[in-house]
Amino acid sequence: MVYVLFLSVFLIAACGLIYELIAGALASYLLGDSVLQFSTIIGTYLFAMGVGSWLSKFITRALVSRFISIELMAGLVGGFSSTILFLAFTYASGFRFLLYGLVLVIGILVGLEIPLLMRILRERFDLRELVANVLTLDYLGALGASLLFPLLLVPKLGLVRSALLFGLINAGVALWSTFIFKAHLGNLVAQRTASFAVVGLLLAGMVWAGDITDTADAALYSDDVIFARSTPYQRMVVTRWKEDYRLYLNGHLQFSSRDEYRYHESLVHPGMASLPGAKRALVLGGGDGMAVRELLKYPGLESITLVDLDPEMTKEFAVHPLLKSLNAGALTDKRVKVINGDAFPWLEATDEIFDFVVVDFPDPNNYSLGKLYTSAFYRLLRQHLSARGLVAVQSTSPMFARQSYWCIVETMKAGGFEVYPYHTYVPSFGEWGFVLGSQHKWKPPETLPDGLRFLNVETMRSLFDFPPDLGPVEVEVNRLNDQVLVRYYDKEWREITR
Amino acid sequence: MKLTRRALAPALLGMTLKGAPRIEGGFALENVEQGHLLRDRARLMVPRESERVPVVIVGGGVAGLSAAWWLDRRGFKDFVLLEMENGAGGNARSGENEVSAYPWAAHYVPVPDPEAVLVRELFTELGVLRDGVWDERWLCHSPKERLFIHGRWEEGVEPHSALTGEELRQMERFAHRMEEFRATGRFTVPMERGLAKSTEAERALDRMTMGQWMEREGLTSVPVRWLADYSTRDDYGTRVDDISAWAGVHYFAGRQPEEKGPLTWPEGNAWVTKRLSEKLRTRIRTNAMVFRVERAGARWQVFTEGRRYEADCVIWAAPTWLASWVVEPAPPRWPMDTAPWLVSNLTLERWPANKGYPECWDNVIYRSPSLGYVIATHQNVARHQEKTVWTHYWALADGRGADQRRILLGGDWNYWSERVLTDLERAHPDIRQCVSRIDMHRIAHAMPRPAPGMIFDERRRARLRPKDGFAYANCDLSALSLFEEAQYRGVEAAKYAMGQVGRGR
Repeated sequence: MVYVLFLSVFLIAACGLIYELIAGALASYLLGDSVLQFSTIIGTYLFAMGVGSWLSKFITRALVSRFISIELMAGLVGGFSSTILFLAFTYASGFRFLLYGLVLVIGILVGLEIPLLMRILRERFDLRELVANVLTLDYLGALGASLLFPLLLVPKLGLVRSALLFGLINAGVALWSTFIFKAHLGNLVAQRTASFAVVGLLLAGMVWAGDITDTADAALYSDDVIFARSTPYQRMVVTRWKEDYRLYLNGHLQFSSRDEYRYHESLVHPGMASLPGAKRALVLGGGDGMAVRELLKYPGLESITLVDLDPEMTKEFAVHPLLKSLNAGALTDKRVKVINGDAFPWLEATDEIFDFVVVDFPDPNNYSLGKLYTSAFYRLLRQHLSARGLVAVQSTSPMFARQSYWCIVETMKAGGFEVYPYHTYVPSFGEWGFVLGSQHKWKPPETLPDGLRFLNVETMRSLFDFPPDLGPVEVEVNRLNDQVLVRYYDKEWREITR
Repeated sequence: MKLTRRALAPALLGMTLKGAPRIEGGFALENVEQGHLLRDRARLMVPRESERVPVVIVGGGVAGLSAAWWLDRRGFKDFVLLEMENGAGGNARSGENEVSAYPWAAHYVPVPDPEAVLVRELFTELGVLRDGVWDERWLCHSPKERLFIHGRWEEGVEPHSALTGEELRQMERFAHRMEEFRATGRFTVPMERGLAKSTEAERALDRMTMGQWMEREGLTSVPVRWLADYSTRDDYGTRVDDISAWAGVHYFAGRQPEEKGPLTWPEGNAWVTKRLSEKLRTRIRTNAMVFRVERAGARWQVFTEGRRYEADCVIWAAPTWLASWVVEPAPPRWPMDTAPWLVSNLTLERWPANKGYPECWDNVIYRSPSLGYVIATHQNVARHQEKTVWTHYWALADGRGADQRRILLGGDWNYWSERVLTDLERAHPDIRQCVSRIDMHRIAHAMPRPAPGMIFDERRRARLRPKDGFAYANCDLSALSLFEEAQYRGVEAAKYAMGQVGRGR
């Protein structure tokens, strides 16, 4: 009996520390800056425990019953804490508010536990022995938890299941207390039912936990996540580190605001600046509006059509204050028409003709995307170009995926284009490749619009030189009935990623 | 949703109640009764009207349409094509719903080799072959085929992973032997070209079953037997132990494609037959069941309920076996059995979870009794497809065709949809959550089943020689249910008919 009671102390001490560690770890995963996160979480938590201890003096009657209730609450809130935080991070705003709120609640509950337990045990031990034993076990529990957490729990169970497991332990303590203190409980049935219900809920949580961690992929990002949304088409995440904003689609980096101008200036201007009479431009993909922003630097352009699959993407980049500041409000310009559609069938259905087309699709890492890099697609694209029209295609890295890059070049050739391959260094991406497709002999432009940060006429010419390690390799053409590109791409990126 | 006590327990544990949504559907294109009128020699109305037409084509499948196409292309317009259904196409018909068009049976044409001049002529006319280049839009897109084996999808239909050394050697030896057969040049499409060069070796092959041949070759391991059996069920609706080894070999050794194919369309080969029917529409009479064809002097009288046709020449493009019930004087019974098939088009509101290699055009489940499914939306170029239609193929290949037909027609829609779902569940445990409709077509006589001896059978070869202005044209003459064979037979019959009529004038 005595040992069981002291075991309770040990266990609830461990639970208390685990919740604290989980909150700290989650905060540093999701928000970054672990020193700041751990310090503030521990501080808040200890402060809340103090509040709990102070509050304990207002509990005067039915100590055992109150203790059981507190255990159950701690088990429930603590057990689901990481679940709630993960989901909130993914689906709701005000993550920090919730984080510290939860830490406060759990801290208060945990702070109530030991004083109450000591008062319950007061009649059975003398004070000297009681204080010594309870506090010893309290600190021992904390030691056990702090060793268990990094060595076993995080690697084996993960944060969601670890929290649930310790919630179960809290609830377990409540449950066995209903047996040990049977005589002291007026509302035995109610307390026992409640205990079973909490145990049941936490067990269900364990069953579900796999789904929860799958959706909460946000833990992948080391920077501050400031925006996250799942659409039917993809998962968008925007992170921030100091003044660097990054967009990830399905975990793949799309741009970093520190250097995206290098990418987008290179994508747009070599082609566009060489078409002084161009009136109509088309952007396929590129729902972030960055390519459109560059196109808007040409007053002669009368219309810019952007076709992107995902309405959420184009909407957010048109209205979200931060996101639209990144593309300088390009998507709300009156010359710009945004169409949400699937590029290949859209091109098949339209009879519009364009002077300049920017093709800015995600890299061809699956067969669905691979269709947008086939000779059939380029042939179709050519039918929508005016006689002098040009097309500029983002075409992955000639450094990391050299075969893939030259495969795109060859495929555009097979689609009937004269090709002008070029490349740019974009620090966050590495060496990046583009292909300009024309229907005639083409020469780089003599002038560029004002206000470019990266390109000038001299640097632009140098982009068309390929050093030997990026130069052409023997490749096949990517066709709908034989998508070699997806195989090249898969093989090449697998070689350089761990 | 009604909450039962059994459902409540998991609900309390926090699991969601996933009652499978209701699946709608039914049988399509059923015309069994009308066909049986012929079998039972029912008394049908003798028509009052009559029409004089030099050439009558009976049957509007690929053979009949090809005969018509060839006549039309050569400037011969004096013919009619009589089709008993309300549309031409035969085994190459299709359906369509708000998600996609889908095939009701034949769904691809292998890329023809340079010698298949007729197929090339047709596809040049249809714009699929231009200046010697096949339009990649109509070639089967990547990724092409996969096999569900060892609990996951793997690339390709041939089992290749986790085989023992002996199993692997047998697979290789099988492939090697087929390569040798191909090199003989005696297995061709159309088959008649290669058959003419046959030696005793080919005759011997035709005398045994594919199973016996494999046994003799020491090809007895499970994976290689499965591959051969899958293939004979696929092309002949027949098990490896019931089929002529010549036919079994032909499946593997018959073609040498020059391009990664095959040619395929969401609606299957109906893409071709619709274009042909459209072009020939003034000469196609639908809902015109021919119930009697009889010799009258130097001419033929062809009876439908609406009209009697007087023709110099009849091209019999309907199934060859049917002639014995319709033509007078009745030709001897056709010796070849036919295989019944069940084709199910499943409409999916979402894609089931996928394990392993991504969704392909052709998706085969290892050691399943069915032939797997083809994704009708596979040729769609959209990057994002929310819904899809799958065409599930099931050849009822065991034992005699007649017994299997009884099973096929005996099962109602509930029975067959349950069997199809259970079959797919092996690879897609969540399939019931995805499917909203299952439309089925029960084809009682889907394709010829060349049992041993059929290829060199004199009764088969006798039908190849047209006589007295009557020419057979169905692909079952070749014992191969292939588009190219149907086209070849149709055109051969058309050539004969044109010669006859020309001579008569």
